[in-house]
Amino acid sequence: MSILKKYQPTEKAQAFLDKVENAKYDRGIITGLKKYIDKKVPEDMQGFYSEEELQVLIDLKNTDHDIEARMPVKITNHYFQIAKNSKAIQTLVKASPKETFDLDGAPDPGNQMSYSPIEGLIHKYELGLIYVINTCSAHCRFCYREELIAKKEILREDGTIASKGLAKIPELVDYIQEHNRIVEENGGKHPETNREKLREILMSGGDAMVLANKNLAGWFSALADAGIESIRLGTKELAFYPDRFDRTFFNMTDDFHAAYPEVQLRVMVHFNHPDEFLQKDSNGDYIENPEGGLVWIESTKRAVKELADRKYITIENQAPFIKGINENPDEIRIMQRELKRNRINNHYFFCGRDIIGHKAFNLTIEDAWKLLNDSQKGLSGVEASARLSITHYLGKTEVVAVTNEPMPGVPGTENGVVIFKLLRGAADANNKGQVAIVGRNPEAIWFSGYEDRVIFDEAGLFKESMKTTSRVS
Amino acid sequence: MAFIVGENCIKCKHTSCVEVCPVNCFYEGPNFLVINPDECIDCAECVPACPIGAIYSEDDLPEDQEQFLDLNAELADIWPQITEVKKALPDADEWDGVEDKLKYLER
Repeated sequence: MSILKKYQPTEKAQAFLDKVENAKYDRGIITGLKKYIDKKVPEDMQGFYSEEELQVLIDLKNTDHDIEARMPVKITNHYFQIAKNSKAIQTLVKASPKETFDLDGAPDPGNQMSYSPIEGLIHKYELGLIYVINTCSAHCRFCYREELIAKKEILREDGTIASKGLAKIPELVDYIQEHNRIVEENGGKHPETNREKLREILMSGGDAMVLANKNLAGWFSALADAGIESIRLGTKELAFYPDRFDRTFFNMTDDFHAAYPEVQLRVMVHFNHPDEFLQKDSNGDYIENPEGGLVWIESTKRAVKELADRKYITIENQAPFIKGINENPDEIRIMQRELKRNRINNHYFFCGRDIIGHKAFNLTIEDAWKLLNDSQKGLSGVEASARLSITHYLGKTEVVAVTNEPMPGVPGTENGVVIFKLLRGAADANNKGQVAIVGRNPEAIWFSGYEDRVIFDEAGLFKESMKTTSRVS
Repeated sequence: MAFIVGENCIKCKHTSCVEVCPVNCFYEGPNFLVINPDECIDCAECVPACPIGAIYSEDDLPEDQEQFLDLNAELADIWPQITEVKKALPDADEWDGVEDKLKYLER
């Protein structure tokens, strides 16, 4: 017997849902290291971890430095085929003992629980982010949601300790409608937060595209009926398993568009490295397409084309810069150029977050800025639209500039400055555009690295110490 | 890897797992449910959803239930998909925990 409240779709939604068809997907997922240890993986995967690599990981099992307890290990067959010929992708997807050398970091990165009015919803900015699933087809070792994927227990606002739960349709619909009612009654702004109407929901997790079509359709129609105008679909499935974007999926989105023509789908894709979508020759070089551009992996190319051909869909790429994976500006330049050519917008690159074990993954903030800046040298303006963002607890912040020259007459700027700008206040929309300027620290991988050299802090980024990242405010 | 419905589901069939499965990979027979291993994406949501602890990850499957690995795959190919919760079988409570239930499996 179910204890969950049932959501009753509207008549229009039901007519749409009745048409949706689920398909079967053979992702060839391998989860856990045990299968490699017991040699139960397919033959071509047997050498993916060397005996020595496995032994080191086995020795850490059930210790404080257990790699799989930090973040479960998982890969699809499609991604394995890419990884076996790519050092960068191996670093992305293979478990490494480096991950738990230093366990410093926040149990709830981004302090999400303070922005979670109902289970599975993070209401930040003008956007609601919902957890619809707690897994992906494969797992990035640097995952920013390791606490959700690994089902770790975290301290909540009310003092209780529990793992993060998933969003449920009826509760979310009630919340959206209530928020929007209050906003409407107060002249278009929420009286406490200055936030506007909730128009946009990001379906995240985990990877929204691991949901079956019927589940996706249930969310889409419920959100549309609740008044949501743009649905974002957060996914790395174009890299992990592009065949998920199949005929049944597009039949569903086309039917959804026919039923709700004013609702946009914004597909937020996640490519870290061009190896994830480009073919390579036997020398490991990308292949020129005589018609223009470079040759893509066929299934990825087809999926991107199908998405981009639909006028109600926009595609945006956003990805973090991670040590050992994507720190070469030439590769990032190729990636931005090829994505834009194929109608994927370059939205954000991210600095590392303060997740548990982040020291294994994070580039310094100044290196990340230089990487993006160097990668955009030689790109046209429309190709170079991505900004470098770092998520402060106050909101999404841009690393605007890093200077090499001192500011004349300003103490603390001898080695140059870093300029931050709040792109969107998480709690209060009024903060947008505020700036902070700090003296340079080439070693800094998090805001705490600048606390002792703040020059100007209109944005208040350094008002509270970020050293103790494990707090829940 | 996938998750596997084990022996204790037989003659109980609570179906609460069905409602939490994000990929709808449960298939239904007369007195037992199975997981399609090709569709399961290893999220583990179904494990705590089962009130009688009948679902295991492949790594935790008890040795004396190893045959359920193949049985899940085999029956998922034949049986219809189930996506909505229904009432448990009438004598579910009495059958919970009864040993050696495989012989009662109806196909």
